Amino acid sequence: MANAAPFIRLDQLSKSFGRVRANHNISLEIRRGQILALLGENGAGKSTLMSLLAGQLQPDSGHICLNGEEVVLSSTEKAIHCGIGMVYQHFKLVENMSVLENIILGQSKSFWLRRGKLAAQVAELALNYGIDLDLDAPIRSLSMGEKQQVEILKLLFRKSELLIFDEPTAVLTPTEADQLFATMREMAAKDKAIVFISHKLEEVLAIADEIAILKQGEIIDQLKPSANLSPAELARRMVGRPVLLQVQRRELETRQTVLKVQGLSGDGLEDVELELRQGELLSLVGVAGNGQKALVETICGLREPKTGTVRILGRDWQDFFATRHSETGLSYIPEDRQGLATCRGLDLLDNFLLTTRHGFSRGPWLSKQAAGEKLEKLMQDFNIRPPDMSLAAWQLSGGNLQKLVLAREFYRKPKLIVAEQPTQGLDIAAAEEVWRLLLKAREEAGILLVTGDLTEALALSDRIGVMFKGRLTALMQRSDQAAINRIPQLMAGLSTEDEPIHEEVMQ
Amino acid sequence: MALLRITKRQEPSPLWRSALVFTGAVATALVLSMLLLTVRGISPLEGLSVLMTGAFGSSWALQDCLLKAIPLFLCSLGVAIAFRLQIWNIGAEGQFALGAVGATWMALSFGGAPKFVLLPLMILAACIAGGLWAMIPALFRQWLGANEIIVTLMLNYIGILFLDFLVYGVWRDSSGFPMTAAFSENAIVGKIGASSVHWGLAHCAVLGLLCRLFFRYTRLGYEIKAGGDNVQAARYSGMPYSFLVILVMVLSGALAGWAGFLEVSATVHRLQPSIMVGYGFTAIVVAWLARLNPAGIALTSFLLAGLRAGVENLQLDLQIPAAFGSILEGLILLTVLAGGFFLSYRILFKRRV
Repeated sequence: MANAAPFIRLDQLSKSFGRVRANHNISLEIRRGQILALLGENGAGKSTLMSLLAGQLQPDSGHICLNGEEVVLSSTEKAIHCGIGMVYQHFKLVENMSVLENIILGQSKSFWLRRGKLAAQVAELALNYGIDLDLDAPIRSLSMGEKQQVEILKLLFRKSELLIFDEPTAVLTPTEADQLFATMREMAAKDKAIVFISHKLEEVLAIADEIAILKQGEIIDQLKPSANLSPAELARRMVGRPVLLQVQRRELETRQTVLKVQGLSGDGLEDVELELRQGELLSLVGVAGNGQKALVETICGLREPKTGTVRILGRDWQDFFATRHSETGLSYIPEDRQGLATCRGLDLLDNFLLTTRHGFSRGPWLSKQAAGEKLEKLMQDFNIRPPDMSLAAWQLSGGNLQKLVLAREFYRKPKLIVAEQPTQGLDIAAAEEVWRLLLKAREEAGILLVTGDLTEALALSDRIGVMFKGRLTALMQRSDQAAINRIPQLMAGLSTEDEPIHEEVMQ
Repeated sequence: MALLRITKRQEPSPLWRSALVFTGAVATALVLSMLLLTVRGISPLEGLSVLMTGAFGSSWALQDCLLKAIPLFLCSLGVAIAFRLQIWNIGAEGQFALGAVGATWMALSFGGAPKFVLLPLMILAACIAGGLWAMIPALFRQWLGANEIIVTLMLNYIGILFLDFLVYGVWRDSSGFPMTAAFSENAIVGKIGASSVHWGLAHCAVLGLLCRLFFRYTRLGYEIKAGGDNVQAARYSGMPYSFLVILVMVLSGALAGWAGFLEVSATVHRLQPSIMVGYGFTAIVVAWLARLNPAGIALTSFLLAGLRAGVENLQLDLQIPAAFGSILEGLILLTVLAGGFFLSYRILFKRRV
């Protein structure tokens, strides 16, 4: 299947940011008809490598060869022209326009837009790759999986020969993920080259033809999946030490109620009821966009409950947030680390003070020195790199920034923790660390975990709830295996009474 | 083939580079404006020399510079506080006018009071008048969602016309000119020694220092900084955002009001329309050029005050229209902002092999 010359060959590619070597002498071949998985911890240099390929960054040294000839990818336009396309984690789509309009946006060379002809082309393309989409549907009405398909069609329409996927399954239901893998296989069979970045090792082993492992900016290992290559072995090679990939969870005595939601409706929510006690971890699973955001924002005081009541730590919502300060015992770890939990232009100390500032205040004064001493210790404990609190938040990698947020929120010794996708984008070593921290925090707190990752929910929860279209459609004990098996169907909104359970979906 | 490559800098620029870019930008603006002079048949070198002599060429010129820099500094310090929170206060000119009115009201009503009572009273009235004037757009913004840029801008004209209304009306002097009667001796901030510079300079030093301490060591200062960087994060961490908006606007207006007080009390000793020479607008330029940093604002106020003095000299000696000063100010702002490009991007010349 492989051609004589690889589609893309990276030759001794290096890129540094100041003193940090993000990529060092990377040589890699990307072949047509193959799915190459790229693995590595946070800050290993995956994003940098992808930015080099997408033309967003230029290498300090080394070459990129396209079909055996050297090219300089000086801009994103140039990279697209060379047939390199990216499917980003955050989709770049115009929500108010239709599927077709998004796909043909900017693609018509002539003054006149020949809609009929273009529509026919797109429809044919979709058919070829087994993608089933209503081309006239507006983007905002689509699920995350469908939006991703639009992104893929967009790239195929631009005649991309190499498609790069950055953690594509993070936002998908298990069924949608399977569908994506089928599409990827189809594309590989049609001689496209695929690069796939993921932290989910089972996925990588199931789909990849070849695996490259990055560590500290260098490729340390390149291997092919085989029967005797287990996820644990892969994790060991990636992290450099054995990783358990599981955490010990023991039942705890539950104590006082820390959160009680009754009949909460409005903002896309419908009659949500739940109760959470100290010593308990409740997961809410579901595809993004099914009301989780509204629920979390209401509980965390960012929007007012329309109808229904929310009681936090025994106090009414109004009362709780009217007198709110950091000792109130509510910690919110939002999904949007950059946009909500941190200030990108401020240094790490200022970011640490965001929610802890009242603890370091005396009268009108703020003791930055005391905060600095605390933070220095926390940065060591949480292994935040680089350990320099005068850096601005934007200079940290996503994983390290998340660790800073976690360090800050756990430092406040909360009684109620709301954690939204806390391990998204984290490598397995860091994710495992976060899991351990959450379970430890559970001893003193009630934790509401919102996640799209079933593995995570299963590993950590005492109870699991499923959200669909603003409703909490099911709430089950972790020990109830029969109910657990129905989660994938529940996430897709299928009624489970008369549906047979597909055993193969769950392992 | 030579290849021009532009890449984003990954680390903040060091001080020397900022200084170099700033100097280069100002020089470019000066060269461009001097070219403009040649259109009028004036030798650019002569123009430059007249400008510089007028600005910094004599002890008298330097004192004039300082006098002009004082109101500029205070107004700029004020707008910089609001800018920190990303609240765009374009209304320093109107707040300055209201401050002058407030101070004058006290001076005219309690002219006989002793100095140590009257001056604080005037300052207080100026700050309250300027602060309340600035609070109007803040309330409109938080209650009605009105854009503060528009509202502050419009309130300038209302404020200036209100000042005119008073001096043409109830406060008109018996001489019949549109100005109030001269203030009593106790309502006047005096000169420093034998110089023409008044003690308002000391007010500036103290207020500038307080401002720095406020942002450095207080919780509110920190909250303003954080809220300015990311509104969402401010909401997330439970900061009283609406209160912060009102606070920065009131502080901002109070400082502009203080500048208005100094102008009537220390410089002209009465209220008259001629005090409105656009310090409040230039203050915005100063704040941006100084990147909202108090020490930078002091330096930049002095430089732009120098430009004003220099342009006055150009007007006198070479009959250049007054608008030339605004052109020069605008050019400097544009070149310095454009120069910011060199601080965040690197340009490489590469020869392709």
